[in-house]
Amino acid sequence: MSTTVSTKILTDKKFPFCPGCGHGIAIRNLAKVLQQLGYRPQDVAVVSDIGCSGLIDPLFATHTIHGLHGRSPALGLGVAMGLQQKPGKKTIAFIGDGGATIGLQHILEAARRNVDMTLIVLNNQLYGMTGGQISGLTTRKFKEIIDFETDVPAFNLVHLAHASGARFAARVDHPKQMPEVLKRAVETEGFALIEIASLCTSYAFKRLDELMDVVQEEEVLENPRPATQIRLAERPSLLDRQEIIHKEYEPGRPGRYGFVLAGSAGGGVQSVGKFLATAGMRAGLHATMKGEYPITVGTGFSVAEVIFDHRPIRYTGIDVDFIGVIVTTDGLEKIRKRITPGSRIYLDEKLKDADLPAREVIVRPFTKYVNRKSAALLATAYMLRQEQIIPLEALRETLTKHRLAKVFLETLDKLAELDG
Amino acid sequence: METTQTTLIDGSKLIIESLARSGAQAFVAYPITPSNWMYKYGKQRLPLFLAAPDEITTLQWMAGLSATGVMPVTSSAFPGIALMVESINMAYAMELPMVIIITQRLGPSTGSATTGAQGDLSLLKGIISGGYAVPVLSPSDFVDAWTLANEAVRVALKYRTPVFLLTSKEMVMYQRSFDLNRLPTLRSYDYDREIEGEFKPYKPVRNLTPAFVPLGDDNHLTRFTASTHDEDANIRKNDPEALANSKRLQEKLVQNLDDFFHMDLDTVEGARDLILTWGITADAAREAVQQLRSRGKAVDLLTVKTLLPVHPRIYDIIDGYERTFIAEENLNGQFRQILFGEKTSENILGISKIGNMITPPEIIRAVETQKSLQL
Repeated sequence: MSTTVSTKILTDKKFPFCPGCGHGIAIRNLAKVLQQLGYRPQDVAVVSDIGCSGLIDPLFATHTIHGLHGRSPALGLGVAMGLQQKPGKKTIAFIGDGGATIGLQHILEAARRNVDMTLIVLNNQLYGMTGGQISGLTTRKFKEIIDFETDVPAFNLVHLAHASGARFAARVDHPKQMPEVLKRAVETEGFALIEIASLCTSYAFKRLDELMDVVQEEEVLENPRPATQIRLAERPSLLDRQEIIHKEYEPGRPGRYGFVLAGSAGGGVQSVGKFLATAGMRAGLHATMKGEYPITVGTGFSVAEVIFDHRPIRYTGIDVDFIGVIVTTDGLEKIRKRITPGSRIYLDEKLKDADLPAREVIVRPFTKYVNRKSAALLATAYMLRQEQIIPLEALRETLTKHRLAKVFLETLDKLAELDG
Repeated sequence: METTQTTLIDGSKLIIESLARSGAQAFVAYPITPSNWMYKYGKQRLPLFLAAPDEITTLQWMAGLSATGVMPVTSSAFPGIALMVESINMAYAMELPMVIIITQRLGPSTGSATTGAQGDLSLLKGIISGGYAVPVLSPSDFVDAWTLANEAVRVALKYRTPVFLLTSKEMVMYQRSFDLNRLPTLRSYDYDREIEGEFKPYKPVRNLTPAFVPLGDDNHLTRFTASTHDEDANIRKNDPEALANSKRLQEKLVQNLDDFFHMDLDTVEGARDLILTWGITADAAREAVQQLRSRGKAVDLLTVKTLLPVHPRIYDIIDGYERTFIAEENLNGQFRQILFGEKTSENILGISKIGNMITPPEIIRAVETQKSLQL
């Protein structure tokens, strides 16, 4: 193609359509409208689909992008959002009635987002490239003629787009109305859909009046809402908000330790896991924390795995003996099979009848002194004090920096009652 | 002056921060586990965030944005990637830069959304119709997550191609203590818009890659097309110029592979066994190698980070050992099959597993018994 930008909207290429095809009328009318409105070729991006309406991009002397079947409304919206960074540009997407059926969701999405673009739907009632099959926009009247699923109505695309929030949605059947309605569509600031009846002389009719007998009614529907503006904005670094943790305590015992904290959703297990890992770091240890919970995060088990190591941690799994903290039945059932004969388990008193194959099971009434939201924290603090791997103070220091410090520290105070 | 900046951080945050610093401008995605932390961070960090209604729309919006010069990224998992495939092919044929992060999870189908895996590499090997090469980078630790996210942006923009960053739930949904001082300063990249001579949309200018002119440019008109086309973006069937253009899509990546091939080779004197791994299994392999060496067993470790296209150097390295153990968390050994096919020789052994991470003792067992392991 030429690198010289001319003022013509269309190239000199011969139209590739069958004799009498209506698509060419729409393209010529669009070119006139664009020139009337003062658009230069470099101001326009034409987005084309697949099918007969997808043959248009060589005809335009503008920017063009030619994509997949049914996707031009979505591709076009992507282009339109990008072009919002360059004022004065216009995105015009084309699609056929077959493509509009595939990409119905894309059209509704573009309508509700209402970003500035024009979508031209060339509805010739059928799939021209594959032999005249019906689409979701084929009317019952036409289907009665060709005896094809006559009991299934056509989508009313104009109504659907309007109901989804399109600034402008219109249907044009007769070519006489086309220039004016096309102009209104292109002038629209926001999403504009215009469905244009188009004659397929190969698989439908030879004459325009025959087509006029089967199409849906002409109409123009508008939603008085401003176009959505898309702007890129600089945002702060994610690392700015990272807490830098310094060694403030000496670890009690060197080595690698795996902790498995097991409770239920809503019990703060994931937060406690993070507090524990951070406390380990305050004692100069390397730490990892991994959460596990069902997809439905608000119910069922909640498990946090924490590893401490005085060496850098490579492998992050806990596949050997571990120190477990179990405060609910959900948590117990989730990790029961993982418990090895060398593990040591801190268990809430309510679960004391669980027959666990651990080396040692330490039973304490954690849930007697705090509610279900705090049991994991109290049990973990108790465990930490007993194990003496790191000072309990490292955990206390971590909690004091949290916005809920008061609640957490009150929970730690319950250790005394637990001892009593 | 502080010597360390230790923090508790996850891989998702490092990847998204790196992408933002590297020149990525838009995060477009449909949320899916285990990529949802990246979705959260993408919203917080990238200059433009778009919540797409599905994964097909995601890729189409990304393509539209990229065609206007707004560099997009997304993150997803297999179910979402499956929906994206046709649109990824479109972006590949149009030569639109973008980064697609895949967080691998246990399949088949919806499988187990919160269980990690390394099971999507075979999909990427054949994801472009016709078997064309596409860059696949896979981080093996947090430093890689940072540097390879940067590399993904660079490669996508330099070679005008979608680039996959292949990670796993275990990389992006756990936290570890990490010294931020280990992260190198990143360079930011942009579309290569330098035109030489007459502009043609698909005339290769540098590195077998065309210069980029965005839609809406005031000085040059451009065309993008997903159909087979010549240098002017005219749609052609199987004429020589159009086929040459299609072949160039593969050649630009294979011929320039040295520019973006990344691996680590950890060697000791006298090793006759090699452990080859990638992605999330690398941590277990590193631990296994250290333990084996401490027991007096000399063994080397090759961690491949650019998985596709396959670099011939991988074969050269393997040829230097009596046995190679290829460890990866999937059923049949996907990278092993890509390297050697369905039937491998006696000196190529696999360590494969699904449902849980491969452990250091399992790797050690395979090496010590000199046998493949399928768990």
